[in-house]
Amino acid sequence: MNPQLAQLVQNGAPAPEAVDAFLRDHAFPLVEPGNVTFVYRGAADEVTLRRWISGFNTALPMQLLEGTDLWVLTMDLPPRSRFEYKFEVVRNGGRELLLDELNGVVANDPFGANSVCQGFGYERPDWTLPDSEARTGALVQLPLASAAFRDQREVEVYLPARFKRSRSYPLLVVHDGPDYLRYADLKTVLDNLIHRLEIPAMIVALTQSPDRLVEYTGDPRQAKFIVEDLLPLLAEKFPLMDDPAMRGLMGASLGGVATLHTASLFPRHFGQLLLQSGSFAFSDLGHHQKGPVFDPVVRFVNGYRKNPFPLASKIYLSCGIYESLIYENRSIVPLLQAQGMQVQFEEARDAHNWENWRDRLRSALTWLFPGPLWMVYE
Amino acid sequence: MTQRILLGPQNPRSNLRQAADAIDVNGPIVVISAGWRDSEGEIEELQEELGRPLEDLMIYHRAEEIFAREPELKALHRERQDKLQELQELYRMRLGPTIAAARKLMRATAQPDLLRLEQRAAIAQVRALDRHHLRRLQAIHQDFDRRRAQLHIPAATAEREAVQRQVAKAGLVLIAGGHVAVLLNRMRLFRLGDELANKPLIAWSAGAMALSERIILFHHHAPQGRRDAELLDAGLGIVRARILLPHAKTRFDWGNRKRTALFSRRFSPAACCTLDNGSLLHLEDDRLVSTANSFVITRSGQKRVLTPR
Repeated sequence: MNPQLAQLVQNGAPAPEAVDAFLRDHAFPLVEPGNVTFVYRGAADEVTLRRWISGFNTALPMQLLEGTDLWVLTMDLPPRSRFEYKFEVVRNGGRELLLDELNGVVANDPFGANSVCQGFGYERPDWTLPDSEARTGALVQLPLASAAFRDQREVEVYLPARFKRSRSYPLLVVHDGPDYLRYADLKTVLDNLIHRLEIPAMIVALTQSPDRLVEYTGDPRQAKFIVEDLLPLLAEKFPLMDDPAMRGLMGASLGGVATLHTASLFPRHFGQLLLQSGSFAFSDLGHHQKGPVFDPVVRFVNGYRKNPFPLASKIYLSCGIYESLIYENRSIVPLLQAQGMQVQFEEARDAHNWENWRDRLRSALTWLFPGPLWMVYE
Repeated sequence: MTQRILLGPQNPRSNLRQAADAIDVNGPIVVISAGWRDSEGEIEELQEELGRPLEDLMIYHRAEEIFAREPELKALHRERQDKLQELQELYRMRLGPTIAAARKLMRATAQPDLLRLEQRAAIAQVRALDRHHLRRLQAIHQDFDRRRAQLHIPAATAEREAVQRQVAKAGLVLIAGGHVAVLLNRMRLFRLGDELANKPLIAWSAGAMALSERIILFHHHAPQGRRDAELLDAGLGIVRARILLPHAKTRFDWGNRKRTALFSRRFSPAACCTLDNGSLLHLEDDRLVSTANSFVITRSGQKRVLTPR
């Protein structure tokens, strides 16, 4: 048992006031080197910890601490790990998923919010937080008539602080860009890394799909949209460096698939690729088990595995070790390396979520677009 | 006595005005903003800060125009830059293991009398390598100067002399930060060292580094992992016996005393002085007359408030 909890109950069932004080005086979950203890307080028939972790039992029953209304669970957790969770509470025949009210750390994503478990030693990187000394860039809207999709699209464009039309800039195109802004603090990260000279001042185009389950799963229209609709418009509207080495494309999850697929249809058009937890599903034998959405993904990835070729100069990949996609990502790395591309692969003690992708942005961007910090002292 | 004021980065708060008010200015104020490269000459903010008219020497752009007109000079310059870059790579190959050995010895535990001598010898090897590198760099510059003198390019020479005259007439020269290698390169190309040596100067960040005898590149928190501080080149040598360290607050690993001690001892007897936002070192010739918000790194790796002596 967690030593603080053990102390609470060392003289038998604690009084409700003692429990109140205990909850008030501690941060939750209770984190120790190598393990973490979750605590839920309330009347219930059953409480389960629901972890957004793959490869493990994602539902772990919590135990009622005798003589209290506290439900507790201690689990092993390697240092610096991070994952998202909720409590599943069963009472009066009903079942509901709840945030951990004792834990103020919450992560948002397009599906809602989750509580965040930060293992021993995890600290949110300072470069993901607003820095009052960093000059801030601006976001502008760019409407776009897409020939590829035969519809109207809206792209947000990040312009760095002190943007000047007389200069030329590297370009990064982001799949699920507004989600990266909202859930992975991309704008703050860009402002900070540019301010620290860790990456050059750059222009970042933030695209969003109205139907990513179709468009990001190996749809040639998406590749054409990026290369034939978006890039020429960006080149017309903004001063961009006309060099593939100064052009990057990125995405997470299915956005990673869309990135890789676009690079495969337009090889070397983007010199730099950034792939986070890419859903690179494939099948070595027989049909895959991932559902029909993944049919085109598997066709694409199987095809690339069969006939690989160089796609870009540098590819950075990251994946959480607590997500099932670690298998697919580990599998694709040697294949990409064998094509003579520079490949950097980073594994994180995290799962399939936006904050995992946020926390990897510095190592990714500074490797793909190294800034002038070594030589510049402003 | 020549007044020289060295400042740290001017963002987020500028102390340029405070520095300028400390100097009697007799003549126009000229600016060297070559370290800003493409943004050279965008001095509106400086002008607003000082409330006085400024002239930018525009030596970055002038050099680009001269290179466009004088292909021989451009080729000679390119050759020198390529050599400098290659030499820096070779220096790094030796620096890595040499400094790693010194670092290891700084962390080692052994009988004090044995360890002290080994540490001293290891640091001496790093210092010897830095000295060797400096000599090699100087040989490349001397070769460039000799071959440059043989070129018959009167227009470029006239332009250089015009810039020198502009500096000669100035009552104060401001040298902005930015890309330190570019800044130094342009000041060398226009041979501004002699003119600047007798001028009241205010220089910040890379501008201050370029005035020193040795320019040290450093960043203990580089995003792609540890990188050892390296000697870039000799500066103009106007500010003597000091290693100037802009952004030291964020770039130094202050929690690692062994590392900062090694840094200090490597460049001794020069004083390693921090230049952060708000820092100010006021020198009359080589004598420090006042300071603000600057530290010197001691032999044991600690920060000591820099005070005039």
